[in-house]
Amino acid sequence: MLVVWLMVVALVGSFVTLVVPRQSAKMVAAIVGAIVMVLYIGLLVHPGQGVNVSWIPAWGIRFHVGSDGLSLFLLGLTVVLTEAAILASKSAWGPVYFFWVLFLEFGSLGLFSALDLFLFYIFWEVVLIPVFFLLTSWSGPKGRRAGMKWLIMNLFGSLFMLIGIVAVAVIHSQPFGPLTFEISKLVHVHMDARVTPWVFAAFFLAFAIKAPLWPFHGWMPDAYREAPAPVTALVAGVMSKMGLYGFLRIMLPLFFPEFVKYETGLLILAVIGLVYGAFMALRQTDMKMVTAYASLSHIGMIALGIFSLTRAGILGATFLMVAHGLMVGGLFIVLGLLENVGGSRELGTLRGLNASAPRFAAYFLFFALATLGLPGLPGFVGEYLIIQGLVVHHVVFAVIAIIVLVMAAWYMIRIFQGIMQGPQGDLEIADLKAQQIWWIVPLAGLVVLLGVWPNGLTSHAVPSLYHAVHLLAGKGGSV
Amino acid sequence: MSLFHGLLPEYIIVGFILISLLGNMLSRKYHVASWLSLIGMLSAFVASSHLWSFVLKPHMFLGGGAVIDNYSLFVNLLVLLAGLGTILLGWDERRWGTEFPVLVMLAVLGMMILGLAGNVITLFLGIEMLSLPLYILAASTHTASGGEAGLKYLLLGAFSSGILLFGLALLYGAMGSLAFVNFAKTVATPTSPLLWAGVVLSLVGILFKLGIVPFHMWVPDVYEGSPTAVTQFMAFGTKVGAAAILLRFMDFGFYATPGWWGPALGYLAVLTMIVGNLLALPQKDLKRLLAYSGIGHAGFLLIGVATHNLQGARALLFYLLPYGLAVLGAFAVLSLVAGDRDQVSVSDLTGLAKKRPLMAAFFIVVMLSFAGIPLTGGFVGKFYLLQAALFANQPGLAIGLVLGTVLGLGAYLRPIQALLNNQDSDSTAPKPKWTLGGAVVVVVAVVGTIGLGVYPTPIVHMVNQSANFFWLH
Repeated sequence: MLVVWLMVVALVGSFVTLVVPRQSAKMVAAIVGAIVMVLYIGLLVHPGQGVNVSWIPAWGIRFHVGSDGLSLFLLGLTVVLTEAAILASKSAWGPVYFFWVLFLEFGSLGLFSALDLFLFYIFWEVVLIPVFFLLTSWSGPKGRRAGMKWLIMNLFGSLFMLIGIVAVAVIHSQPFGPLTFEISKLVHVHMDARVTPWVFAAFFLAFAIKAPLWPFHGWMPDAYREAPAPVTALVAGVMSKMGLYGFLRIMLPLFFPEFVKYETGLLILAVIGLVYGAFMALRQTDMKMVTAYASLSHIGMIALGIFSLTRAGILGATFLMVAHGLMVGGLFIVLGLLENVGGSRELGTLRGLNASAPRFAAYFLFFALATLGLPGLPGFVGEYLIIQGLVVHHVVFAVIAIIVLVMAAWYMIRIFQGIMQGPQGDLEIADLKAQQIWWIVPLAGLVVLLGVWPNGLTSHAVPSLYHAVHLLAGKGGSV
Repeated sequence: MSLFHGLLPEYIIVGFILISLLGNMLSRKYHVASWLSLIGMLSAFVASSHLWSFVLKPHMFLGGGAVIDNYSLFVNLLVLLAGLGTILLGWDERRWGTEFPVLVMLAVLGMMILGLAGNVITLFLGIEMLSLPLYILAASTHTASGGEAGLKYLLLGAFSSGILLFGLALLYGAMGSLAFVNFAKTVATPTSPLLWAGVVLSLVGILFKLGIVPFHMWVPDVYEGSPTAVTQFMAFGTKVGAAAILLRFMDFGFYATPGWWGPALGYLAVLTMIVGNLLALPQKDLKRLLAYSGIGHAGFLLIGVATHNLQGARALLFYLLPYGLAVLGAFAVLSLVAGDRDQVSVSDLTGLAKKRPLMAAFFIVVMLSFAGIPLTGGFVGKFYLLQAALFANQPGLAIGLVLGTVLGLGAYLRPIQALLNNQDSDSTAPKPKWTLGGAVVVVVAVVGTIGLGVYPTPIVHMVNQSANFFWLH
């Protein structure tokens, strides 16, 4: 039940920001975000059973939400990053901005907790809308184009997934059964061998575009570049996890034999994204774009873990999803603050800043190190598990992954050195003040906690993954 | 149930047409006829809902010529909604003269007859009764473009009516019967050329009214030239009437032989969805944009007939409601933005979000419903159509629907982005004014759209009762 309250508070709160006076919108949004966080702590203590009520009985559609080890921490990621994004936003952006941010939180919470495929799809599209409006109204003409690209590319994929969803439900109901969209029931569907590849492709396209996996990342550079930094943090931190979550929650149980069949191809796809993202990150001079391509590379890494189809790999992917969200979200937020005071994101314009702004340098360094996978921080744990999963059957991919880890250190250190160290430029910037950034400290604290105590997450994730994997084993998978 | 009881909504409309004419003669006040028509259509609405529980089993009258069932009542409710919206949007439009509400009611009556038509006579009666008032309404502003629209509509409409009539005559010759239900008994035997020609020609006549590619050429010009309230009426009401009769005609008369007309309609549906939405992309005039989007939506509707199953019939009937609500909302905002003019271009919307935030928000909601985004009725409708296509084992229709939707999305996003654009807005331009009628229509449309998207269960239930053609199982 608590998980519904999370959504209700976010939704009601989003409308409240519209009616309060303009200057207090940010404060109200932050309070709403905080209430959701408190409720989430309650959810951590009592995960509970969720809610399952009939919604459109004629089509067997139920409002079925709940949280398990797989979704619980992604819900937490959503809650934490949304609060950070609200605090990092300017109150001058107005009530409508905060309305969309909270609406996005509502949609994301719904998506990560939906256990009915129809409900999942509803939220899957609902989350596209806030980002479209945030891109359209809070950035320049280029942002409008990016928003258009974002919505059309993503909807293109998801509409094919809609065909897939309906097809699975229809096939499951044949010949005379009732329609149902419950994920737990649909996994028992028996599809014709001629149909399955098409349905697989329909789901895969949607998830790969949203993640984004190479070569479906066409919307990504523009959207990440043009969006306001807090929005970029949400898109890269939370929304990119939705596609990966879809692989784990829906595709693995439904299509395990197909995953086994196409495994090599999928791994190659993921590894191309991994390498491509790293090389692109090395070439960028805009620090936001370095982070964007680094993020693309990491998504490739997580996808490698999922497609390795081993327990360690999948567990590592689950862990890295949460960790990456926190790290890259934090990094984008710090970069956004830096852009606000520095007025630029270019590597040549900003240099030697650690003399005038040591706190900036410290936070930047922290999140950069976390992103490149320093042991003791959570990126390392996830990457270690993924490589452990890969080594068993796919040594080549494991070796490539390790080489890219080295490259990750290279591109992150490169921008850190470029911006913070070296000879001081003409630019003197004001350092962060404590009241501006007090909330980054707990965010960083969470990252450290995850790094030194990964078991807190994995011990919860393991039971649900066992459940998924057991299911797979029944369908002819060897795990 | 007697015939009089069953036709109560129609009788009410006829009565109020006469009373309005009388009112126009006796009183010089402008709004007398408008008020009378509002009261008349509201009472017909109530009467239709009252009849709902009486007709759980279809009642046939006049030798199968009039079929009163939940299907005809659902169509009644839809077209009355369209008629009420038209009267409210045209409330303060004094150029049209006092006969405007009477003509609207006459067209509504034609659409209601299309909903209950069970033989070719009532079919033709309904089509003509719908069309003739619309020819006049299209030209009612006395402007050059209005005259062009009216004339074009009249000439092409008369032509298509001729084709339809010819086809119906051939059908009668081939079958020896007028009633659809008797067609079905005869048609099981091998088909004759006469029958073929009859079916094809009658289909062309009906598809013309629905605006299916390649019979869509009249739609953009007529929509653009007609007054906004009338355009709304054509986009919503005419589509409901034409779709209703198409479904009844094919699913009653030819249900046993879907083999030869099903695929043909399927190809037309895909063609219409893609061409309509594709041509909507470059339009600068908002009415033309909505006209092409209306063509695309007619393609979506045609899926429901082409699948030839129970889900298809129900999905078509369901889709009419969210589509109609979105049309009501979109044209209401359009007429508010246009003010006294008849033309509105996409750039006229620039900066609306700043000038009239609420109006802009409502417009965004109905546009998203057109595009089929979840939590709006449009999504549920598309979802139902997809189900129908896949139950009929026709993935091609589903893929056509998806492609059409993505193309349409591109078209609907441009007005949305224009109204959110603050930089290029002309701050000296006057703010659009809210009118009472427009506000009522917009609020009803938006509440209905979101309500259908969040909790469609009651309407789904109604639709499932309405399209309950047991032979399609």
